[in-house]
Amino acid sequence: MITIPRTPVDFARPTLKVIGVGGAGGNALDRIVLDGLPGAEIVAVNTDLQALAGSVAPNRVQIGQSITRGLGTGGDPEIGRNSAEGCSEELQRVVSDATIVFVLAGLGGGTGSGALPVIADLAREQGAFVIVLGTLPFSFEGKRRTAQAMEALDAVRGLADLVICFENDKMADIVAPDASVQDAFATADATLSQCIRAMAALVQRRGLLKVGFDEIATALRGEMRSYFGYGEADGSNRAHDALSAAFKSPLLDHGRALKQADAIVVQVVGGDDFTLNELNVIMDELNRCIFERTRLFLGTATDPQMNGRISISIFCGAAAVEAAPVAHSAGSGLAAVAVRREEKPQPRPVPTAVQRGEERSRPTVAARAPEPEPEPEVEEYDEEEQEEPVHAQQSHSEPEPEEEEALEAEEEEAAPVAVAEAPRAPLPRRPLFAPVQKGRISDAPAPRTAATSAREKQEQMLLEPVNRGRFEKSEPTIIDGQDLDIPTFMRRTVR
Amino acid sequence: MGKEQIVVGLEIGTSKVCAVVGDIKADGTVKILGVGEAPSRGVRKGEIVDFETAGKCVREALVDAEEKSDVMIGSVYLSVTGAHIQSFNNRGAVTIPEDREEIDDQDFEDVQSSAREVSLPAPNMFLHTILQHYYVDGQDGVLNPIGMLGRKLEADFHIVHGVGTRIKNAVRCVKELDIEVLDVVFGPLAAAQVVLDQNQKNLGALVIDMGGGTTEYIAYVDGAVRASGCLAIGGDHITNDLSLGLRIPMTRAEKLKVEEGSATLGESEPGEMITLKDETGFAGKEVEREMLHTIIHMRLRETFELLRRELDPHGFLPYLGAGILFTGGCSLIRGIDTLAEEIFQLPVRLTHAKTMSGLTSAFENPQLSAAIGLIKYAHAMQPDQPAGILSRLARRLKLFAFVLIPLAAAAAAFVHHYLNRS
Repeated sequence: MITIPRTPVDFARPTLKVIGVGGAGGNALDRIVLDGLPGAEIVAVNTDLQALAGSVAPNRVQIGQSITRGLGTGGDPEIGRNSAEGCSEELQRVVSDATIVFVLAGLGGGTGSGALPVIADLAREQGAFVIVLGTLPFSFEGKRRTAQAMEALDAVRGLADLVICFENDKMADIVAPDASVQDAFATADATLSQCIRAMAALVQRRGLLKVGFDEIATALRGEMRSYFGYGEADGSNRAHDALSAAFKSPLLDHGRALKQADAIVVQVVGGDDFTLNELNVIMDELNRCIFERTRLFLGTATDPQMNGRISISIFCGAAAVEAAPVAHSAGSGLAAVAVRREEKPQPRPVPTAVQRGEERSRPTVAARAPEPEPEPEVEEYDEEEQEEPVHAQQSHSEPEPEEEEALEAEEEEAAPVAVAEAPRAPLPRRPLFAPVQKGRISDAPAPRTAATSAREKQEQMLLEPVNRGRFEKSEPTIIDGQDLDIPTFMRRTVR
Repeated sequence: MGKEQIVVGLEIGTSKVCAVVGDIKADGTVKILGVGEAPSRGVRKGEIVDFETAGKCVREALVDAEEKSDVMIGSVYLSVTGAHIQSFNNRGAVTIPEDREEIDDQDFEDVQSSAREVSLPAPNMFLHTILQHYYVDGQDGVLNPIGMLGRKLEADFHIVHGVGTRIKNAVRCVKELDIEVLDVVFGPLAAAQVVLDQNQKNLGALVIDMGGGTTEYIAYVDGAVRASGCLAIGGDHITNDLSLGLRIPMTRAEKLKVEEGSATLGESEPGEMITLKDETGFAGKEVEREMLHTIIHMRLRETFELLRRELDPHGFLPYLGAGILFTGGCSLIRGIDTLAEEIFQLPVRLTHAKTMSGLTSAFENPQLSAAIGLIKYAHAMQPDQPAGILSRLARRLKLFAFVLIPLAAAAAAFVHHYLNRS
């Protein structure tokens, strides 16, 4: 048998750790434990002893005993940070020996916002690939909390390899209007859990066509907004059904998000009975929904446990310019900022296993490069975030088309000119792994004018999903990627 | 049988199924005996999606036509449509064998099959191979090469093809009613037979037939078909747009489109409202007139732009002497001709079936162009002999007489000779 020498850290047999920080992080963690994530170590971290005691996570770490005496932080991130720093040794033990660390937290609270950056930093020092999944608070929780959440997001941005951030406001779209609060939060947790499991599956299930974090990071790199969709189906028509389910996921904005995406990562997992024809069906349908210029990373894997079923996970990123008005995204639930730490001024491809090994062997001091100065887009992102509640209310109370147009005009004025003027550093487009790509590769996205970006934003303003009416079930008439069954005036006024 | 021939044209449309019974006189004129119609269900975008329901509608229409015309319908000419139908132009060529110079029927057959030697997508089948022009030894403008002397015969053909199974579905739908389908004709080709006269075909004309589910077109240049095709957008889309845009039910939207619809912008007073009445006559919702017009305008504009984009590469558009002839149910929308003129930069005329006698009120409806055209098409296909069962039998006999008998005689002679020798 031929043995292939492996580098110390190999993504082929990763050690996964999932850490839930704070109350919301703990809740999501419980869900993951219940759903099951084989091969991962699950740790709950909290200041609140009572919440910790109620958690079903196998490992639990209480932080800040001396500061909070087993109570919560009272919503103060400072206390959360101090608590985490006070227990850094214990936390260090938690994150040691991990290849990939997922850190889950509800941003905006005390423990989540305060302890999250500390834990991410510790994990990073241990040489792990750090993925942060955060949830932004509901807008009704107040601006103060949103500001705290954004602060934490900024802090963690320089520390994690990948930051994915759900907006709780968008979670409301996932559940039915008459769902109970309990259900709403449960659904949010379930979505988070699904996202983590899908990402874990990326590295755990190896297929012939492989995609990994390198591709995800490439797809989501830069100041981008990102979307996640997941679908699973069985039965004779499972390929089609799974894709429809993934499209229906509100976090993908019913497939519309794909139109704005610059890059899409698709992972298709099936059992041993997964056929090439089914893959063909899926990719055909998917390709119909995206532009030619969109870069597509396709991964497939087989897992005997998936026999008879097919699951599809879609990650995609859209350029920040288009995504700036968070306020108007009708169903985009997942805003992610994917950044590489340290080498921010000169982004380079995501580390391969080899590179990561080297990096780890370097003294950690060397890895601590001076903190890069904040980029203009970062601030902008903040602004937009804070404007959100106002716009969201407006758009909810005024669903008539004419008023939407009025809003559009307003929005064009409101959209900061800086969006268009801010020079976008050309993003490196070449991952070290030759990724499986379909479609044309565009070296750099064409510069967008303020006008087009403003119009593209408008597309997200449709408050109800576009309906094809009586053509709902018939074969779509698609010419140049446009579904002609959707009323022209809807397509034209929004583009 | 004899000199007069009764032909039935059947169109299974998206909004209605219609059967036209026509009588082709010995002198070639066509008399419409009756038109049977039934609202269509189970058809979307020109294609059957619910076989059983569509079958019932076809039966209703045929029964209606039988009652009105007092004719037993046994066979029909069927028009088909759908976005899957495509077309292209191709040239076929044959070299005349060394030992003769005269071009004969066989060469004509050969040139046609050589033009068909193209690779269609696997599921597709040929629907029409329409002759455009002959070239004999490179000389063009030859009207009828048979009997001429030459070394090389070439011919341009316009080839229409579509997905075989989808075409057969429509045929089967009719055959299940125990009715024979004599020929399958692409919708706009049939419509052009009654909408255009020979002069217009020579000048160059574009026929656009915008029906319920599809918009079909066919362009004649120099008397020959140059381009044809089908776009799966039709009046249904306008109704659907209105229903979604104005938030009114489908049936109400259809009625509003027919009664108040217009494609002209800016002709209404600002803020002019239309009050929608329900069945009992009570005032219901109010709809802004300009909004209504805008929705219709945008859909039609887009459709015309798509058509124009499809036709522009051919390059003949500016030279169509007879302009555009617009037919089909959607041609009844007010202002549609002005809009089409603006986009195509050509004179547009709304039209319906012409050069017929009989029930005039029936065929002055642009919705029936294609169905009436089928009768004319049937007539054009058999200029010499009426294609009744007898005549077809006669043709078989002729084949038998000219081909099989000499063959058999030769074989017999050969065998006889062989036996004698041994």
